[in-house]
Amino acid sequence: MAGAIIENMSTKKLCIVGGILLVFQVIAFLVGGLIAPSPTTAVPYTSVKCIDIRKNHHKTKWLMPWGPNHCEKLKDFDEAVSRQIEANDIVFAVHIPLPSKEMSPWFQFMLFIMQLDIAFKMDNDLKENAEITLDVSLAYRDDMFDDWEEIAHAIEIRKLKCTFGSPKTLESEGRHYDCDFLPFMEIGSVAHKYYLINIRLPVNERKGINVGIGEIKDIRLVGIHQNGGFTKVWFAMKTFLTPSILIIMVWYWRRITLMTRAPVLLEKVIFALGISMTFINIPVEWFSIGFDWTWMLLFGDIRQGIFYAMLLSFWIIFCGEHMMDQNERNRLSGYWKQVGPIAVGSFCLFIFDMCERGVQLKNPFYSIWTTEVGTELAMAFIIVAGICLCLYFLFLCFMVFQVFRNISGKQSSLPAMSKARRLHYEGLIFRFKFLMLITLACAAMTVIFFIVSQVTEGHWKWGDITIQVNSAFFTGIYGMWNLYVFALMFLYAPSHKNYGEDQSNGDLGVNSGEELQLTTTITHVDGPTEVYKLARKEAQE
Amino acid sequence: MRSAAALSRILLLILLLLLLLPPPPPAAAYFGLTGKEALTHFPSLGPSTSSAQGKVHVKQCDLLKLSRKQKRLCRREPGLAETLRDAIRLGIMECQYQFRSERWNCSLEGRTSLLKRGFKETAFLYAVSSAALTHSLARACSAGRMERCTCDDSPDLENRKAWQWGVCGDNLKYSTKFLKKFLGQKRIGKDLRAKVDIHNTNVGIKAVKNGLKTTCKCHGVSGSCAVRTCWKQLSPFHEIGRLLKLRYDDAVKVFSTTNDAVGHSELAGPQRHSHSPKHPASPRSTDLVYVEDSPSFCRPSKYSLGTAGRTCSREGNCDSMCCGRGYNTQSRLVTFSCHCQVQWCCYVECQQCMQEEVVYSCKQ
Repeated sequence: MAGAIIENMSTKKLCIVGGILLVFQVIAFLVGGLIAPSPTTAVPYTSVKCIDIRKNHHKTKWLMPWGPNHCEKLKDFDEAVSRQIEANDIVFAVHIPLPSKEMSPWFQFMLFIMQLDIAFKMDNDLKENAEITLDVSLAYRDDMFDDWEEIAHAIEIRKLKCTFGSPKTLESEGRHYDCDFLPFMEIGSVAHKYYLINIRLPVNERKGINVGIGEIKDIRLVGIHQNGGFTKVWFAMKTFLTPSILIIMVWYWRRITLMTRAPVLLEKVIFALGISMTFINIPVEWFSIGFDWTWMLLFGDIRQGIFYAMLLSFWIIFCGEHMMDQNERNRLSGYWKQVGPIAVGSFCLFIFDMCERGVQLKNPFYSIWTTEVGTELAMAFIIVAGICLCLYFLFLCFMVFQVFRNISGKQSSLPAMSKARRLHYEGLIFRFKFLMLITLACAAMTVIFFIVSQVTEGHWKWGDITIQVNSAFFTGIYGMWNLYVFALMFLYAPSHKNYGEDQSNGDLGVNSGEELQLTTTITHVDGPTEVYKLARKEAQE
Repeated sequence: MRSAAALSRILLLILLLLLLLPPPPPAAAYFGLTGKEALTHFPSLGPSTSSAQGKVHVKQCDLLKLSRKQKRLCRREPGLAETLRDAIRLGIMECQYQFRSERWNCSLEGRTSLLKRGFKETAFLYAVSSAALTHSLARACSAGRMERCTCDDSPDLENRKAWQWGVCGDNLKYSTKFLKKFLGQKRIGKDLRAKVDIHNTNVGIKAVKNGLKTTCKCHGVSGSCAVRTCWKQLSPFHEIGRLLKLRYDDAVKVFSTTNDAVGHSELAGPQRHSHSPKHPASPRSTDLVYVEDSPSFCRPSKYSLGTAGRTCSREGNCDSMCCGRGYNTQSRLVTFSCHCQVQWCCYVECQQCMQEEVVYSCKQ
């Protein structure tokens, strides 16, 4: 009669294993905190106002803000009024990156947000719910002297959400509105060295396009990308973690197949958790260094989603299989009530992500939040997912409560049980409590670190040492869940040791060769005894 | 023979005197304008800069009023000349806007003599000019006008590698550092005025720093806040000007004290806390400081043109601006543009309206 490894391990060994895992955990934090730079960088760009004189010269349609053959610049719009330049001939140009730098595939992704500087003018006030229409195009080149190649061109509408702090009088003319930033662009790979953004604000009075948008003084962009250094550390970590999880997975599965019985649900779920962890770990991102795979960002989201769904399902099934009541579960269909919300929730988030990042594969300027219908749709998806998550947690809490109730019921009747059964129950209780403790610790760590990284300024300084809190958060938490899965597969693998070996007289009516499954279906092994019946009664009360 | 010896002795004396004379005080601020040029004459940035990049900026540097060291820095950095001119414009415009209804209206006349003194107004000028420079430099960096920007101050790694690895600083840090180098603040003598000027310059830089707003964007899985990036954003220069004007109103008069323990002199303000009379409180780093009480600016002097002829508002400031001399009331018909149809950008259609307007102006 065998249980999991964790039950048969001596406390000393368990402590050693825990210590080793703890060392790895600390290393994971330190790698992020000390070696890696901060995860992302935000670079502010101010657009240069160019005059599009293409009509006369028929040159390239791309306007450069600086460098050789840059465009004819406008200082401000007063100059444009005096020179009688039309709105349609003004192009806001932004070159990415700034001079004497170049982008690199190690940056993984780029996302841009847009900030408008709108000055207050008595006779050109910003209308209520004004919308701005942008004619945007994006181009790339890999050499300073190549021609620009177009990546995308789109006409986008964004809503302006601005407030004005002072009274709208003549006195406060020239002061700026306080405007929310607008989502501008998102690209899932940085395969080229130089990028160029050209923005036009076409005016069409008859159609009401770009009318009543106030006096726009400047367009500023903020480009966010992952830091090359962080990417390298991250890749290194993934490359190291993949084989370790893979090896323990193979070992785990071999142990299960070595047994005479078929694997039970819980074992399968643990294995599936291992697979989804490996799926995240496999460093396919290495390919993004060589190939222009813009779908990497979406793919990463999907991988994470699968892992989260798997983890949540595992918790439910683990609780269910340790319920210690009479119900025969061991089937996924037995958990439809709890797993259902997970499936629905993840599906909602998947659809939402497809609508946002999926569409961005085609049009990097797209954002679901810019239109009213889109916002409502997105909110609907997110709310449904949120409800599902709440529902799930209610179920989970209820199940945990039930297990604890059963445990306390069992514990009172333990001394009266036969030895084999007592050991079996003690094992179950220990297994459950151990996982409960570890899971809670991991979840608490995640939450605490998340809050810390949100609240603090990004890095701490102790003398000469700078600790990057955000990077430490990412590598530490990522390492932690990897270790969690690793420990789970190691400690909850079926043990080959027998309870019977420990005792001299194996006369408990249970064949020592028979392997007890990880489920609690003790009723199979032998019929309920008087004590057990009593315990059940108690439990039901 | 004797006369020749006497001559040589006199020459030696002059030479000695020249050597003994204190070196010119360190330039703690940069104004660029001597006050003789009017702002309107100041060449605005036209398309002239677009051709032949190499030489143009050197010529622009020569046009500006710079010390030798500053000229060297200016020549090294192609975008600097343009940025300096931006900064001068920005500073003057803001100063004149903030002082539009004061006796001293930040006019360029008398500015040179004003800068040689230690008035409250001088303090404001120093602060606003350094704030404008900091602001303009940071902006020029983000517009790609400067070649050496943020990554320049990452010490360990080579420039390009620092950018790839992601350890570059931000624009404002760079511009503050550059400014300190540009203004040559390292040599602080015992001169009280020089110290006051440096203090006020730093007040300006600090005002820009304090005006930074932190904005964040969430971009984790499905746009969640699991990954969040924050950046600092310059506030519009108007806000900084307003802040400095408030500081001007609460400026602190200082005198020099010698700290025996440390051995160098420090700025000392009025005793804010009366419990330690022996140690007068040094002014806060956000206070503007001055050493001399300002003149009234009422009459024409070498500091200003006086307030005669300035227009004022009757309900507001006529009494104080006209220094009690009274004001003329003149009513006239003015034509102005009204019912304007303004469109972004660059299209204005107005009607011409006539209105009778009463103008108050200070008497001689």
